[in-house]
Amino acid sequence: MARRLPTVFLVAAAFIFPYCVQRIFLHTPIEREMGTAQKIFYFHVPLAWLMMAFAIVAGIAAGIQLRRGSLRAEATALAAAEIVLLTGIGVLVTGPIWGHATWGHAWTWDARQVTTGLHWLIFAAYLLVRRYGAAGSDRLAAALAIFGAVNVPIIYYAVKIWKTTHPSNEVVGSLPAEMWASLWPALIALALLSIALLLVRLRQELTDIALDEAWIRLNERGEA
Amino acid sequence: MTGEPGVLSMRGIGKRFGRLAVLRDLDFQVHAGEIVGLIGANGAGKTTLLSIAAGLEPPSQGQRIYWGVPTEDLGVALRARMASVSHTAQVYTRLTALENLQLFADLRTAAGLPSAACLPLLARLGLEHAAARTAGTFSRGMLQRLALARALLGAPELLLLDEPFTALDRPGRALLAEVLASERKRGAAILLSSHDFDAIAGIADRVVLLEGGRIVGEVARRGQAEDMFHVALQRLAGSLAAVPRETPVPRD
Amino acid sequence: MTSLRQAWLLARNDLRQELRDLELVLTAGFFSLVVLVMFGLSFSALGREAQVLAIPGVLWLAVAFIGALTLTRIFDREREADTLRALLVAPVERQAIYLGKALVTLMVLLGCMAVLVPGLLLLFPAAAPMATRPGATACLVVLGCIAYTSVGTLFAAGLASSGGKNVLLSVILYPLTTPALLVAVVATRALLEGHPAFPAYLKQLAAIDAVTMVLSIWLFESVLVGTGASARRR
Repeated sequence: MARRLPTVFLVAAAFIFPYCVQRIFLHTPIEREMGTAQKIFYFHVPLAWLMMAFAIVAGIAAGIQLRRGSLRAEATALAAAEIVLLTGIGVLVTGPIWGHATWGHAWTWDARQVTTGLHWLIFAAYLLVRRYGAAGSDRLAAALAIFGAVNVPIIYYAVKIWKTTHPSNEVVGSLPAEMWASLWPALIALALLSIALLLVRLRQELTDIALDEAWIRLNERGEA
Repeated sequence: MTGEPGVLSMRGIGKRFGRLAVLRDLDFQVHAGEIVGLIGANGAGKTTLLSIAAGLEPPSQGQRIYWGVPTEDLGVALRARMASVSHTAQVYTRLTALENLQLFADLRTAAGLPSAACLPLLARLGLEHAAARTAGTFSRGMLQRLALARALLGAPELLLLDEPFTALDRPGRALLAEVLASERKRGAAILLSSHDFDAIAGIADRVVLLEGGRIVGEVARRGQAEDMFHVALQRLAGSLAAVPRETPVPRD
Repeated sequence: MTSLRQAWLLARNDLRQELRDLELVLTAGFFSLVVLVMFGLSFSALGREAQVLAIPGVLWLAVAFIGALTLTRIFDREREADTLRALLVAPVERQAIYLGKALVTLMVLLGCMAVLVPGLLLLFPAAAPMATRPGATACLVVLGCIAYTSVGTLFAAGLASSGGKNVLLSVILYPLTTPALLVAVVATRALLEGHPAFPAYLKQLAAIDAVTMVLSIWLFESVLVGTGASARRR
């Protein structure tokens, strides 16, 4: 069952996603002030939530990696960080499109935009260290991921006081119920997709570890 | 040899870097008042083993046992009882020999540990005339002696030395052998590595041959006549040359 | 207590090496001067209101630049002869290594600030509140520099011990220290504007300092030598 989980998730996402699109564009009322452009909100907001959630997953996994020296946790942290990068790109692309349509500017230095941008940079740095660091830098990268997770509130707060006036902080809270109702399926579809991707990456990493192990064992038998 | 716990025991120690198994399932002990020589070609895993023993990196598998206590994280109290000398001297090149030594002596006293006076220690290693010289001007052999002096600061019960003979000239080697012998007499357990067979043969009580990250041979002096020990060592040296390697390793 | 005493010994050791050639003090000091001149050239034409917005950015960007430079240099010294490993095997508390290095970095940064702040006063009339409220300015500068140092020392040390490339330090440090520096920028602007929220911003900066410092100290040992049960690894 566990082996089929990513496939199950992907298939489920493939069914839910068209339903979402249909529901969002045909059965959800058009927002009065922002018009059709507001539709992007149904993809933008879930992606932003997923990005934060996976940042926290990466941070916790990195913490376990450091405390226990667990390779599994290390693989989880790496996979989660990659999803952070991916969902982050989604957020950073959809955000400015929405911003351009509603505020007239793609990048308004809105608190959430900057927060997301900074966060994305931290996890990009994490992946750079993983890729180009020397032998011991897996632990260094882990510390970076932990800081990335702990930074979630700090960054948000810092940016908020830096730019105290920004337009959309209350948008999510004040939506009519029918718009919320369309947000959930989108969140579920995107969550299933990203969890499936995470599991696929995780399995790749674990296979990689298992291959190393097998290679070592084979070598030992060859020598004996 | 198996009854008492020994100063340092390694049980099933393995170390991997991805696909590379540097150490595999190592078991051995070092006892008080004993010099154990670790020999093997370059890349046999000697340095990794010593750095795991010194607590600089965790093993991938297995247990390190110090004075009978299995330990995962080497705290200050444990590190205070041991000392280690790397194959590079690791001294501050802008400071004088005395300042280098004094720093580590002060660090020990700050931790409430006793430490030896620095000048006599420098004299013991033949560096008294160079005490006020900047370490950056030292030859490799002198740096090696300085590193050894630093290791002896706290009269360690466990001494770990990685290739201590490499940079030394003939008098330096004799001096090192003499210092190690007197440390052994004091009751210190000494583990030293070398790819140079003759240097180790002269002083070690036991020689362990490392090949491809595994122990492939062991010869003890105890209970043997001196010449028999050397014959056994010669045989070990022969197997060192005979074990096939995946990549030819240059020996010097 | 042991940690603090050892930290002081290690910081003193760094300072002693620095006194031999003054390399860090002179290069970082000169660099501050250059940055100051460049910012002066770029922003001298700004009106007073724009200056109030520019000065905080100038100040903390300079800290980010100088900080990366200083940390690289300080740990290069340990790297040259691999002395960091000698400290790691010696009976030295890990926190002492962290605190000692952080202290030296902080001293260098504060020294550079002693060039930068008067320089800004000289170049920009809008910086005047920094002179009229020296106590507040000092607090701000110290807290901001601590925020940078506390994070920077951990990652610079980690990179030095793993033999990683120096370029990675900038990759790590700029995004990671931006939030704290952002708060410092806000506080500086509040100081220049005489905004009543200034003390509150200072407190927030202090809180960020505390969080990053505790986290860095907590992570320091596991990053440098790797702790934990590798026996349980698989």
